[in-house]
Amino acid sequence: MFAVFKTQIRKELRSPWALILLLVGSIVLTLIFANIDQDTSTTVPIFSTEEKKEEVLNKWEPLLNKNSNFNFVVEEDTAARKLVEEGEHTAVLQLFEHDYRLITNSSMPAVQMLEDYVHMLFTTEAQLQAAAGNNNVAALRAEVESYLQEAPLQIQTEALDGGEVPDYNMGLQLLFGFTLFMAMFTIGFQVNAVSADRANGVWDRMILSPISKTAMYTGHLCYSFFIGFLQVGLVFLIFRYILHYDLGGHLGMILFVAAIFSLSMVSVAMLFTGFIKTPEQFQVIYSSVIPIIPVISGVYMPPGTLSNPILLFIADLFPLQHAMNSLMDIALYGAGWDDIALQIAFMLLIGVICMGVGINLIERRNN
Amino acid sequence: MMIETVKLTKSFKGKNVVDEINFYIDEGESVGLLGPNGAGKSTTISVISSLIKPSAGDVKLYGKSIIKNPAAIRKILGIVPQEIALYEELSAYENLKFFGEIYKVKRSVLEERIQEILDMVGLRERQKELVKTFSGGMKRRVNIGAALLHRPKIIILDEPTVGIDPQSRNHILETVQKLNKENGTTILYTSHYMEEVEQLCKRVYIMDHGKIVASGSKTELLNILSSEDTIKIHLNETSDDILKKIQQIESVRHVDETDDGIRIISKKGNNILSSLIHTVESQGAEITNYQIETPSLEDVFLHLTGRTLRD
Ligand SMILES: Nc1ncnc2c1ncn2[C@@H]1O[C@H](COP(=O)(O)OP(=O)(O)O)[C@@H](O)[C@H]1O
Ligand SMILES: [Mg+2]
Repeated sequence: MFAVFKTQIRKELRSPWALILLLVGSIVLTLIFANIDQDTSTTVPIFSTEEKKEEVLNKWEPLLNKNSNFNFVVEEDTAARKLVEEGEHTAVLQLFEHDYRLITNSSMPAVQMLEDYVHMLFTTEAQLQAAAGNNNVAALRAEVESYLQEAPLQIQTEALDGGEVPDYNMGLQLLFGFTLFMAMFTIGFQVNAVSADRANGVWDRMILSPISKTAMYTGHLCYSFFIGFLQVGLVFLIFRYILHYDLGGHLGMILFVAAIFSLSMVSVAMLFTGFIKTPEQFQVIYSSVIPIIPVISGVYMPPGTLSNPILLFIADLFPLQHAMNSLMDIALYGAGWDDIALQIAFMLLIGVICMGVGINLIERRNN
Repeated sequence: MMIETVKLTKSFKGKNVVDEINFYIDEGESVGLLGPNGAGKSTTISVISSLIKPSAGDVKLYGKSIIKNPAAIRKILGIVPQEIALYEELSAYENLKFFGEIYKVKRSVLEERIQEILDMVGLRERQKELVKTFSGGMKRRVNIGAALLHRPKIIILDEPTVGIDPQSRNHILETVQKLNKENGTTILYTSHYMEEVEQLCKRVYIMDHGKIVASGSKTELLNILSSEDTIKIHLNETSDDILKKIQQIESVRHVDETDDGIRIISKKGNNILSSLIHTVESQGAEITNYQIETPSLEDVFLHLTGRTLRD
């Protein structure tokens, strides 16, 4: 078994480029698509052309910046307009005493969100104004706010650990998603070495040697697992310790899930090997099927977007879905072992079944 | 008797590719298995080496069936497959090391063994180079070396010289001869090259369409032809018609055109020359050269099967 393992490693080190490419690929994809850095909230310049410019800006600026993902900064009239015209900002906000105007050069969803936010703010403010009449608006606002704290009807949201619910983090989801996706390729190509050995005759030679079939399979599969897990682990560690991403406090659990996922993916790849005759066909078929899995597992979309029951069912048959759920639960909601046990069990079950069927198919084809 | 097959049969999709074969190999012997492509040689070897199970019949090692207990033969067998079965991405040395390890050669002797084998196949200087950069002949030599690491008592070589340069070929033949003569290794050598088998093997089995059609030492096999002559003639011009007419001469058993003239096998004793001259001249051609050949194993094969080895 060790000889098989060692020799596969030696072969990989001879031409490690595919492996390095997939490893770098997961990092680059994440960096490109997952704008995960939460500190860079969008800056929106604001300006006013009213006579009482100072007063208007002083009134709205704090209100706008209060609990908002946008960062509103005061600019000069002409400077602000120039920023949009030259495309440096997608939107600037012109303020009047009781009104606003959004100047934009884009119809991106982000602009829509900005519009919604500003609109809501001005409406609320107008309502407060109307209710207060000539009284003090600020006092009324404070009253309303303190009333809402103790409202008779309240929605309670609680995270798994009982703490506050964090905002869903799409960037983190993509980080996990891309990394596992790339690892699926790596693992598949490593498992394909079994087919390659069978095709080039080395497999038959091994059968005639004193090492057992079990040792041959174990050597190959341990190796595939090792490489797959190494890749996922490395990417996570790079994000955590070099790029300083926040993966939640439980890196150990995250790596554990990665290990179970790799194990289970080795089995899935083995099942493919059982169905497919030659290593060349494997390359083609595996590479065309694998990219579908993250799509139906909803890796690229916010959770809950996919609702087709058939797709959801198919997604459940692959380890990716379960690994993603566990990873997000751990990183975002601080899930404990109990919370992810079911997902882990699913992955192990998939692993056992695929491995059994896969090896059986391969052995049967022999005779 | 070291190895013996009893009515060994292997069929694929209902067709008997190996058909009730009986043969034996004594310890220390060098035996040839000769036959054209598709005769069933590789399949026979696969069954003997326990890689595939026979459809019927048995293979015995020292009198005991190997079908239920393949470990017995695997321990003493070195097999050189027809196709090169190596890791092309690895060097010659790394390949040999891998096969040494899976054959559980003790670590203390493995290194020395590898170098010894590299010497034997003449690749010591190039052991660090990747197999994929090797010529066909060099690959075949590594392929043989990979079967020798555990010092097998019997080596089965399946067409080890197909498609390689003469130099590599000679090297391989010498290596096999040395293993047999100096180390006393038993050899089963498969080929469709007559000359190799004649040179290497004391005893030969001739196989065709899954059956053994003849066997024995070279002299014994040639005696099969004692009732026939092989005649080579050259004509100033040939045509299919002439060949057909010659075929119709009563004592002629077989006619074919070779690289070097027309080959005729006829019953011994009959004076065939006059009928030949008559036939050829009646077709408007002339015999420019005529000779009676000493028969070869190739002729034996032709006699037995009506085919040439390279058909
Ligand atoms: N696995 C197989 N399935 C079906 N037919 C086979 C298989 N292996 C060999 N054959 C057929 O058996 C015949 C003998 O093949 P083989 O033993 O390779 O002959 P040789 O080695 O003498 O050239 C051929 O006709 C080949 O097509
Ligand atoms: Mg063959």
